[in-house]
Amino acid sequence: MKVASIQLALPLAILAIVLGAAGRTSAAETGAVSKSELDAKIGYCEICHGHSAEGFRGYYPIPRLAGQTPDFITYSLAAFAERSRTNNIMFHVASSLSPGMQAALAAHFHALNPKPVGGAPTALAAEGKKIFETGVEPRGGGRIKACTSCHGDDAEGNQDFPRLAGQLDDYIVDKLTNWGKEFGQHPSKMDVSRIMQPIAEALTEPQIKAVAAYLSSLQSDPSRGSAQ
Amino acid sequence: MALSCPSASAGTPRQGCGRRIIKVGGLRLALQLAIAIVVFSATAGGAATKAFAFSRHELEAKIAYCQDCHGPSGQGFRGYYPIPRLGGQQTEYFENQLRAFADGQRLNSIMRPVARSLSPAMITALATDFRAFNPRPLGGDRRGLAAMGEKIFQDGVPEENVPACAACHGPAATGFEQIPHLAGQIYPYMVKTLTNFRKDRKEHLSDVMYPVVESLNKQQIEAVAAYVSSLR
Repeated sequence: MKVASIQLALPLAILAIVLGAAGRTSAAETGAVSKSELDAKIGYCEICHGHSAEGFRGYYPIPRLAGQTPDFITYSLAAFAERSRTNNIMFHVASSLSPGMQAALAAHFHALNPKPVGGAPTALAAEGKKIFETGVEPRGGGRIKACTSCHGDDAEGNQDFPRLAGQLDDYIVDKLTNWGKEFGQHPSKMDVSRIMQPIAEALTEPQIKAVAAYLSSLQSDPSRGSAQ
Repeated sequence: MALSCPSASAGTPRQGCGRRIIKVGGLRLALQLAIAIVVFSATAGGAATKAFAFSRHELEAKIAYCQDCHGPSGQGFRGYYPIPRLGGQQTEYFENQLRAFADGQRLNSIMRPVARSLSPAMITALATDFRAFNPRPLGGDRRGLAAMGEKIFQDGVPEENVPACAACHGPAATGFEQIPHLAGQIYPYMVKTLTNFRKDRKEHLSDVMYPVVESLNKQQIEAVAAYVSSLR
């Protein structure tokens, strides 16, 4: 049942993304940002997200932003600001950013390529790679497709589908475990995060941990982007 | 004595002071002995951890020594200097700070010799002990600012690039591993630490906090201090 709805939701959501993308670029161009304002704001983000936005383990696991697709960063900031993604801290952060600043930050973080923070149990990575590349058959029947079909072979993401390579494993576990409580909270709006909800709910805890361990170990080609 | 009694310069000599000086003298002897042991065990090869073993009695004596300044339950103490609460502190943070005092990364002329006298095993044992204390906060903060402090702590001040303290220290200010527990920390210590953060540390020690403290003005520091000092 759940899996059948995934298959239906996916094309619908992709349609919604394509339609949404057409209107988005013009918003990003509004509002000029000075170099000093941008540098100050980057420094502010790095306090929690790490010196090179590689992610940081505070009281909460704070996600890696480095290498993230610019579209996913601006989409997430919008979701925080309108509370369709619930996070009190990021609500306040996102509400204070102009569209121009959001676009500038997204471009900056996309260009970074530091080493992954690591720290996941390496023994789980092989199983996680298998799930990521071939999908799984949930106990209730049906099939979850390979994660690569949306997130890419190397988990580098594509537009609104986030990059996952090098993400903190405990962050991924937290998101996949609590998906329906954090994402898609807007009562009427069709949101790209709905694609993931049935998938996240169908995955078992060991499967989530395995995928997270695998993803957290992935590193992009060091020639791409800068470590700083 | 290189170390002056903290209360002497305040013009109110206290009974405990002489005792403390004697202890510091004792520490010097202990330090030399410890160094001798390290050198000796290093030549023996790989026996260092055994050389640092201590008895329950030694641990209790050391805890009592810490309590002289930090309070009987590690609740903190307003001496000439504000002396921080240790009760409930994260063990990893506790150990990191003692190592930073010992190697001069965190500058404090009183805590440096204290930290240098402690073996790694003793540091771990003390960290575990003080983590288990849960005394009531000392209180006495400026209640009028606590509401403002709560807003800064939980939400940050994004337009001034002040991050939410809760992101790293947790919504109840309980900390996490190397990030300190702040709930119930005494008000004057919080104000002093946030005001002098960079001055009291060598480059790169806890540098994640540098931009934070530079973004906070005096009133915001006092507000955050008032809020966390009231938390149980």
